[in-house]
Amino acid sequence: MKTNENNFVVSFENVIKTYRISKGKYGLLTEAISNSLELMFARKKTGRNLIAALKNVSFKIKKGEVVGIIGRNGAGKTTILKLISKITYPDKGSVNVHGKIGSFIELGAGLHHELSGRENIYLYGAILGMTRKHIEEKFDEIVDFAEINKFLDTPIKKYSTGMYSRLGFSVCAFCDPDILLVDEVLAVGDFNFQQKCLDKMRSFAGKKTIVFVSHDLDAIKSICKTVIYLEKGRIKKIGNPKGVITTYLKEAKGEQI
Amino acid sequence: MKNWIIEFWYFRELLWALTLKEIKIRYKQTILGVAWAILQPAALTLIFTIVFGLFLKVNSGDVPYPIFAYSALLPWTFFTTAVSFGALSVVNNGNLVTKVYFPREILPFSAVFAAFFDFLMASIIFLIMLVYYKIDLTLNLFLLIIPVVSILLFTAGISLLLSALNVLFRDIRFLVPLILQIWLYATPVIYPLDQVPQKYKFLMLFNPMTSLIESFRNFALHKGSVSGGMIFLSIIVSVLTFMLGYLFFKYRERVFADVI
Repeated sequence: MKTNENNFVVSFENVIKTYRISKGKYGLLTEAISNSLELMFARKKTGRNLIAALKNVSFKIKKGEVVGIIGRNGAGKTTILKLISKITYPDKGSVNVHGKIGSFIELGAGLHHELSGRENIYLYGAILGMTRKHIEEKFDEIVDFAEINKFLDTPIKKYSTGMYSRLGFSVCAFCDPDILLVDEVLAVGDFNFQQKCLDKMRSFAGKKTIVFVSHDLDAIKSICKTVIYLEKGRIKKIGNPKGVITTYLKEAKGEQI
Repeated sequence: MKNWIIEFWYFRELLWALTLKEIKIRYKQTILGVAWAILQPAALTLIFTIVFGLFLKVNSGDVPYPIFAYSALLPWTFFTTAVSFGALSVVNNGNLVTKVYFPREILPFSAVFAAFFDFLMASIIFLIMLVYYKIDLTLNLFLLIIPVVSILLFTAGISLLLSALNVLFRDIRFLVPLILQIWLYATPVIYPLDQVPQKYKFLMLFNPMTSLIESFRNFALHKGSVSGGMIFLSIIVSVLTFMLGYLFFKYRERVFADVI
């Protein structure tokens, strides 16, 4: 059925993504030129200096679904979020996304130290694709949620880490995205704020699609309906939280021995 | 191409927000603030007036040397400021590029518009100078819109090109100040074009800034010879540079986040 197809807001089909490991040196023109020649001729990618972040990953996310992604460091979790948000593109396979994305991928990206909390709300809102009018409407809610009322006109370089992430999450949560991407950033907030964020995310459930990357398995269990377990760039298991998390924990323990 | 424009339109408010940010943070924690926008071309005008006007007696025709110099340094300073900031814009905003999606050309554009704000500030001094040197303020001044828009397009094109290149080769960072310095002397800023020996003159026309600066100066000071050919040339060169820069930028854009 055709309508069924439209229910998927995110679909990955056989996605392969590799990164070049840069030699990490810039400044030498000779090296830059040799690197660029290499890039030009080695279109096929020889496998040298390459790291496969995702190897043939396919999955679909329905509208309103809350999906958690777990896996060890370097398993490709963040790469999936980056592909969804079009920050990067797959080498092979296809990524299809329908809807406005609100990505809260890293603490403080998009916030500027020298600007005040107020100015940053407008700036970050615009970065997330909000119109000025929309920001003005939501302004009070954002400030309340972030609990920064008193420090609205203070440059955020004077903010604490917690205030920083609260500000970031609030703008993101109120930018009214169709798809909210959250990448283990909640770890920095205190317990109350973490709960508040999780509540906010729960309130989205059903209406908005959420992709939640976290090492906090309890949080995953409490809000996600589906969990994807990634291992070294492949989907190891996908399904209901309980089963997938059990497998994950079992394997993690198995490796420790 | 159509999609690029639609998407850019969707994010148009971001361009404004980032331009505002550029302007605000540039002068944060400076004592003189926005006055720097005026001081830069003014200081250059002063030193050039002393060296080239008084010592070397460069013939600036029927206009006094200070306003002759300023009328070119005004657009020139815009060009150099915009290109210097624009070339670094993508790399300097690396944390945004790797974390959030938006049309990347907004970054060099915002650098260009922030420099344009400086240009408008410095234009106030120019108006005062026009009055002081008793140069008629005619409707010709409105025609300045033609060279101004051309320079904007040209500058944006160069900024797009350099900012995309800078992602791949950080050498650009060192190259830009050097090239701009040489470029200043290769452009009729501190000397008039008609002082250039005939056999070199055609060489000067290969420099797009020649026709841009000349058109600006001739319109502003309405020196008799505003040649139609020169203006036509400057418009063509600007549009082509902009398109080239834009296409190159969009072509490289997808890999920015992977390379930064």
